[in-house]
Parts: sequence; C-alpha cells; structure tokens
Amino acid sequence: MSAGARQGSHPVSSALCVAGIDVGSSAVKVALLEDTGEGAARVLLTRCERIRRRDCQKVADDLFGDCLSQAGLAREDLAYIATTGEGEMVPFRTGHFYGMTTHARGGLFLDPEARSILDIGALHTRGIVMDHRARVLGYRMTSQCASGSGQFLENISRYLGITLDEIGPLSKQATKPETCSSICAVLAETDVINMVSRGVSTPNIIKGIHESMAGRYLRLLVSSSARGVTLVTGGLAADIGLLAALQEAAEAEKAPIQIRAHRDSVFAGALGASLWGAYRVRKLAARRMVFGQGDGTTTAVAGAGA
Amino acid sequence: MKCCVGIDLGSTTTKAVILAESGAILGRGITNSRSNYKIACDVALSEGLIGARFALVASALEGSDPAAGSGRALLAELEHGLREQQYRSQLRVLSEVMHRFMAEGDSDALREVVGEILAAMERGAAELFRSGASRKSDFFRDLAGSIYLRLAEEAAKTSPVGFDRLVGLFDKAILDVENRPTDAGNFGRHARAALSRLPEAPAALTRAVEEVAEVTLDLACTVGTGYGRATLPFPKEQIRSEILCHGLGAHAMFPGTRTVLDIGGQDTKAIQVDAEGIVISFQMNDRCAAGCGRYLGYIADEMNLGVQELGPMACRSSRPVRINSTCTVFAGAELRERLSLGEKREDILAGLHRAIILRALSLLARSGGVSDEFTFTGGVAKNPAAVRALRGLIIDNYGEMTLNISPDSIYTGALGAALFARREWLRRGSPGSGEATSDRGAEGGRAA
Repeated sequence: MSAGARQGSHPVSSALCVAGIDVGSSAVKVALLEDTGEGAARVLLTRCERIRRRDCQKVADDLFGDCLSQAGLAREDLAYIATTGEGEMVPFRTGHFYGMTTHARGGLFLDPEARSILDIGALHTRGIVMDHRARVLGYRMTSQCASGSGQFLENISRYLGITLDEIGPLSKQATKPETCSSICAVLAETDVINMVSRGVSTPNIIKGIHESMAGRYLRLLVSSSARGVTLVTGGLAADIGLLAALQEAAEAEKAPIQIRAHRDSVFAGALGASLWGAYRVRKLAARRMVFGQGDGTTTAVAGAGA
Repeated sequence: MKCCVGIDLGSTTTKAVILAESGAILGRGITNSRSNYKIACDVALSEGLIGARFALVASALEGSDPAAGSGRALLAELEHGLREQQYRSQLRVLSEVMHRFMAEGDSDALREVVGEILAAMERGAAELFRSGASRKSDFFRDLAGSIYLRLAEEAAKTSPVGFDRLVGLFDKAILDVENRPTDAGNFGRHARAALSRLPEAPAALTRAVEEVAEVTLDLACTVGTGYGRATLPFPKEQIRSEILCHGLGAHAMFPGTRTVLDIGGQDTKAIQVDAEGIVISFQMNDRCAAGCGRYLGYIADEMNLGVQELGPMACRSSRPVRINSTCTVFAGAELRERLSLGEKREDILAGLHRAIILRALSLLARSGGVSDEFTFTGGVAKNPAAVRALRGLIIDNYGEMTLNISPDSIYTGALGAALFARREWLRRGSPGSGEATSDRGAEGGRAA
C-alpha cells in the first residue's frame, strides 16, 4: 500500500486513513482503515493483543506503535484515532465512541446483511438490534455476574489444559454433552474438576458449557428482539463450537435468527470506531466548507488528525 | 507406630491431619487440589507424614541433645532444605513435561527460551528456600507459575517467541506435573540430601533423621471430608460431611466455642454447635464465589500478589473504598479500573475484605446469629484484614465476645475428620487388630 504518500492533510473527497482502538477487558484490538468516502472502506491492517494482566494502557500504546510501523504510517497520517470499549484512557485518541455503536457499525461493515449483533466479550455480552445504517434500535446487556462469559470459558479451558483455539474443534467432537448449569465463572472451575474426575471427556464438557452459554445468549438476543442475520462479534466469535451451539439453540427454540461470524469479528469494535471516526472527520470538514473557511479544507481537517 | 488420619479435600486445598495413638496431633500436610483427587489426597497425606516425621525427629533430638534450642534451629534449616529438594524434583518433572509438549512442530527458538527460563528457575531455587526468604505460596503450581510468568514476560521482550505461547505451554504442562505422583513425599531421600548440604549437622540430627526415616507409620484409620469427599477412594463409613468435621474440629481446638464461621476456598459456612461439638444448625453460601476465599485468590492473581500478602496490605489502609461489584470476576475488573484511576491498592483491598465479611455476616445471621465463644476458621482466618473487619462488625452487631482463631485453622476440617477416624478406630477396639495398612505403599510409590 502507498500509505506513506499521505501528507497529513485530508481533503474531504479523497481517501482518509483512520485508526480504531478497542480496549477490552482481556485484549486490545487495533484496526487501520482507508475510508474512501463513497461508503467504502479498505482494511489496511488489524492486530489483536491479549492483555494478560499487563498494564492495558501500555499494551495499547505498544500495539498501536507496532501497527503504525507495520503499515508504514505515522500518527500524522491518520485523520482520526478513534477508541472504544475502555479506550478512554488512551491519551492520543482523537475521540471515543460508545461500544454499542461501534459494534453495530463494525458488524454491518463485516456483514452488510446483519441486523443484529451478539458481542461476546470477556466479561459482558451485548445483544444489539440495528437497522441497515447501523443505527442502534435496541440492546440488552448482561451484568452483575460473569457466569457464561468469555472469562468463564477461559478459566475452564485453563483448567482443562487446552488453548482457546482448541475449544471450538473439541466441542464439535462431543458425543454426549455434559449438561452444565450456568454457574459462577469462578466456581465453575471446581465443577469442571468434578466432571474430569468423573471421567467425562473434554469434548463433552466443552460442548455442555457451550450449550449452557448458548442458551443464555439466545435469551439475551430474544429479549432484545433480535431477528434475521445475527453477527457474533468479540473474542468468542472465533469459537466455532459456540457458534454451532448457538445456531442449534436458535433452531431448537424456533427463534428467527441466523447466526454468523466473520473472520474479523473480533475487530468489529475497532473497525466500527475507525469508521465512525472517518464519518466525523467528513462531517466536520463538510460543515467547515459550508461555514466559509473556503480556502482551507485541508488545514481545517488536519486539526482533527493532529 | 499407629496413627489416624483425617483428610479434608477442599476445592482449593487438600489438607491432612495425622493423629498419634494418644490423639495428639503428630503432623499436618497441605497441597493444592487438582483435577485428580486421588493424587491431591496422596500428596496431602505424604506432606502430613513428612510433618509427622519432623515431629518425631524433634522429639528424638529433645531426648538426646542437651542443646535442644540449637537443634530446633537446625531442624528449621533441615526443613528449608527439604522443601528446596522437593521443589527441585518438581522442577525436573516440569522441565521434562514441557519438553515433551514441545516435541513436534515447535521452533528451536521456543525450545531455547523455555530451556533458559527453566534453567533460571533452577538457579533461583536455593535463594527461594534459604531461611528467612519469603515465598508467594508454598504450592509448586503457584510458586513456579509466578516465577515462570515473570521470566516469560522478560524473555518475550527480546525473543521472537510470543508471551502467549510461553504461558500456554506452562498452563498445559503444569496440569500434567500436578496430576502425576511425584517423589516429593520421600522423606528419607530429601532429608538426607538436605542434611548433606547443612555444613555442620551434628551427629545427633543425622542419627535422628536416619532413625525416623525407618519408622513405619501405620495408618490405622482414615476419614475423608470436604468438597471432594464423595469421590475419595474410601468406604462410605469413612466419609463425613464437612459441616460435622468443622464443628468437631473447632470444638477440639476451642472447647468453649458455640458459633463457627469457616471461610474456605469456595464456600462459606456458618455453623452453630453444642457443648459436645455437635452441629445444631448451619448455613452455606449459594453457587457464587463472592465472599469466599477464592474471591481473595482471584484478586491476588489480578494484583500479581501472593494471597497471604493481601491482608497485611489491606491493613495499611486508612480510607477503605466501597466495592460495588458482587461478582468475583467483576470485582477483579473493578479493581483494575480503580487502580488505573489512581486509587491506592491498600484502600481497594480493604474495601474488598469488608465486602467478603459482610457476606459472611448475613450467613451467620441466617444460621442463628453469633454466640460466645465465636471461632473463625478456614484459610481466610489467617488474613489479618478479614479478621479485623470481622471483629469490628461482630462487635457492632452482637457486642463483645471471645473471638478464637487458631494459626492452624485451615486444618479444622481435617482435624475433625481425624478425630472421627480415631473414634472409628477405637470403636473397632483394635489397637493391633491387624486392619491397619502401612503408609509404606504410599511413600514407596513415589520413591521410584
């Protein structure tokens, strides 16, 4: 890509380089995007780094620096650095966007047919219903208890000695899923230990947990009136076992929901943030043109990227 | 010699108490629980037997050595040495397992980095166990885990191998290391190795160790209790509920006690007992970790501290913060958030401790209130900040009363089980009836 050619000035009509940083509770996601302004955008680069108890501000700083150098860009080349999630602590951001809107926007970008989003993160899960322009029509969110969250699954996989990438394929091998009540993310560890000691196989344990999580998520989706194509976003979208369990649950409950995921689902928040950032830059530039700083669209908008 | 054993298979730790024929406590052992209950049970037992053998060495020394005081210091040295030997033998297993897991498809760079980390751990072993050294935990999993994590983070900075891969490999290997029988319980071998490193071990100590290593400890009767009791490989009559064992154990420690609060790893119990230590009523927490020891363990992990460091740190707080999250996982996130907002660690911790005790208080109220004497047991009773919060809230709500806390309170359930075991053995009327099994089998299995 010829990203180096960008000069730190961003005329409204030409392409803009924007960044989105999504700071979650377990990972930082960065997306660099080229927005052409015709409703189209090209992903330049996406990167995800797990925080693993490190200082998340430092992780975000380092990862963002890495991304820029990998893309051959400097900060001045970016028209907007948008944050979402817990990203308000990123000092060099241009602006911050609410997670509900970024996941909707990013989800629609990844799958234009999507009309609802199920964002499964480490601690929270959100069901979002939106229109064809990513306008949020309604949402539901889990709170108070981390049972059935990404963290829950992570705790369990650690106890079973499997990595997060192994979970999905293992779940698909299950022959007789072990029913698991939706329990405390912390206490579930001992329940799993119990299952192991009773001789339940790892695939059957995992699938049982997936089924319990899927039931929970489906209730969340149904209560937020989701219908049609539902794109799963967030860290757990890569878990094919969970996706399968979700689709099975939706069919069993006759919910009018079609579960999908995208290879880049984990970046939905970061992508959405960058797209909203580009949108804001263009809005601002257009307004300044109207209000008569006629000689300088460039100077006017450069302020947003500085 | 004959002894009776109680095993408390808790969710977090497994404890063993060994009673002599007289009913006196001979040894105590503890290990972290793992997915293989049988092994957790074996390790706790072998640790208890090591404790018993140390007690036997001590009494042999008292009898023979006029300068018993210096003998005690030497004995402490010997114990540090023995712990170091155990740690080293576990490290060897870890190294072997990690190399096995890397067998195929992994880069030489990874193998090299892991090799360097393990070598650094090996080099640090002596320092870790010198007398007076503080350790984050006494369990291999936690101890080795925290050191490995720190070394892996450093290594990942300068090598092409990712931190995630290094941690993933350890997480996977440690399960295997834990769930295989180790030779950590071999008293004779480790004590001899430790002795050889003591510069001037008196002949009396060497002799006592040799004699005690040869003593056969016959397990006359064993009773199991705790969370995992149903899966213990014991006949049904040798299983007791944890509530009964905690009541009896607390009664044995403090005969005047009427109310017992036990905050364990995964459950909190409020128990009322009568003058004989028999349970009158009790309440337990529901299926949520808030308010249990695990809550503190989780927070300690979040802060990268050892669980025993939390209490002292919280005690330094002058302005406890109010913690809003009930869920343990959410409280962890709230903690991170408050830290990033610049709140002081001790103030946040003080708030977390108070949150736990408030939950316990509601259980106590449901079980029938608090009566004099009141005994606080379980792992959390060791935590000074929890004790302080409890003392204050009890006085506020119920008035002044005697609050008993034993330094060995974590063994309360195991002690109760051991007392039941001894009753069972006496009921059989069988000192010398030949039913006893030798512990040689258990220890010998590890010696290989």
